[in-house]
Amino acid sequence: MSTTVVVLDNGGGLIKAGFGGERDPSVILPNCLYKPLTSKKWLHPNPLNTTTTTTTEQDLTSASVRRPIDRGYLINPDLQRDIWSHLFTSILHINPSQSSLLLTEPLFTLPSIQHSIDELVFEDFNFTSLYIADSPSLVHLYETSRRPDGLLSKAQCSLVVDSGFSFTHASPVFQNFTLNYAVKRIDLGGKALTNYLKELISFRSVNVMDETFIIDDVKENLCFVSVDVARHLNIARKTGNENVLKCTYVLPDGVNYTKGFVKYPEQATRYLVDGDGKENLGGGGGGDREIISQQQPQKPVDLTKNEFDLTNERFLVPEMIFRPADLGMNQAGLPECIIRAVNACHPHLHPVLYESIILTGGSTLFPHFAERLEKELRPLVPDDYHVKITTQEDPLLGVWRGGSLLASSPDFDAMCVTKAEYEELGSARCRKRFFH
Amino acid sequence: MEEDGSNSNRRMSSRTRKVATKMVAALASSDNRTQAALARLDALENDNAGFEAADPNIDDDEASLDDDDQVYMQRKQSKGTKRKTRQAKALEARKAPRTFLELLHDANLESLPPHVPTYLKAAVGPPSSTARRHFCTVCGFSANYTCVRCGMRFCSNRCQNVHNDTRCLKFVA
Repeated sequence: MSTTVVVLDNGGGLIKAGFGGERDPSVILPNCLYKPLTSKKWLHPNPLNTTTTTTTEQDLTSASVRRPIDRGYLINPDLQRDIWSHLFTSILHINPSQSSLLLTEPLFTLPSIQHSIDELVFEDFNFTSLYIADSPSLVHLYETSRRPDGLLSKAQCSLVVDSGFSFTHASPVFQNFTLNYAVKRIDLGGKALTNYLKELISFRSVNVMDETFIIDDVKENLCFVSVDVARHLNIARKTGNENVLKCTYVLPDGVNYTKGFVKYPEQATRYLVDGDGKENLGGGGGGDREIISQQQPQKPVDLTKNEFDLTNERFLVPEMIFRPADLGMNQAGLPECIIRAVNACHPHLHPVLYESIILTGGSTLFPHFAERLEKELRPLVPDDYHVKITTQEDPLLGVWRGGSLLASSPDFDAMCVTKAEYEELGSARCRKRFFH
Repeated sequence: MEEDGSNSNRRMSSRTRKVATKMVAALASSDNRTQAALARLDALENDNAGFEAADPNIDDDEASLDDDDQVYMQRKQSKGTKRKTRQAKALEARKAPRTFLELLHDANLESLPPHVPTYLKAAVGPPSSTARRHFCTVCGFSANYTCVRCGMRFCSNRCQNVHNDTRCLKFVA
């Protein structure tokens, strides 16, 4: 069959879709429908990477969101069908009945969910064939192909740390297969972090509980991982321009600008210089004054101009991935998660796994994520082993690029389940072919 | 499939389920503080506050109907086009997608033999050290004091006042 292969990384937050063999996905689309206050219909969000087609400005203020994926798994196939058919017909312009599909699926997908996915692919969309891949092996595949001489490709084994929208996985991969008995999961991802930030801001300054999209933007632009939490907490306590962490974000007012933005972009990166603040940009009070202003607004700008300050929230939010216990979750943090995943493997693999940790997923985009992880991981790993953490050049797309590689390999057609086989054997038996 | 079993008092069950989605774990525990903490964690996975109620065309009309009412409803709708009735039926059958926790419960993963890796076994498990840092719920800095009534943390007298005025015993929805 010389059909086109559609590669679809169906994430809980973003769909990455494109054609096999290409380097970048054709489209990155939020995997949701949204409904602004002004609309009665659920609308499809605009793709992120194409700016030319976005003719209609989307108003994301206080928009409600529906996502087909909950806690990482597809729970609403109907909604997913809507989103996919919009994607296939209006954005990718493909005919599913003449293409095959490479779809990513989270690890340990429940049989009932697998069944509904198969139904969706073969019965609703009529794809000619389907291959289900798990994301860690695709990341491994991509990284090995990028560095054919590296340790990764020689040992054929790596530890993929995927911190995505719904959860965080540490999964050892060996010979392109994910060792599923060793995979460990933390139930924290970008969505929980956004919601946590939302909660903090709503408590402390402005009520933003309905502003999912805006707070997502705040998180992406302002949050960072602190390498030394105690020191950063002390800095956040300072007042005036000594407080290099303080940063102001302006909410959209719907008249002059429809998107929120960081008031002084220089402020956002001031924490990197570490020393005392260089110029007095923000003025006003630091963390302590901010607290007063909640009770009796001393700075009237806070209420009229719709802006809020962030200080310690900027690093305490991503901090939760490292210490979920601080949030009250009974789960170990990311460093311990990695240790446990490695320890569940054969001892011969341990040194190689520690030396080939690959970070991927949107939540690893926080600045200093890798540094902090290495700092915490090093004391936990036996002295004889090296720890090497590789970051992907584009953590959002790592999985998709692996999928694109796999789809362009000559064996791909043989690995797929065809529609005829699905009709003959049914969902459960077809699934056996993918060894998950 | 619990809802199907208790079909006779379906209105009751649909109402309790609305509470349960937020507080499902909390209801299992008797302690008020753990309940609030669990509900708060559960809220972190919510999509958008109050979105369920904001769906006018599907949920509101049909969510609270008994079986008899549904028959009546269909008859009423059949005055319109035939296609619409079918659509309504399909919507009805598939409305209110089940949450992941319900699906997980149905999959009955506990019954699998212990060597099979499953979703439940992949969870990382409790941390090795139970020590947890406490941050002030008001300002975010490290908190040394605990509210005697609700157990939330605060760091100073000022934060305590804010806490008492605005948050104490007002659990996060």
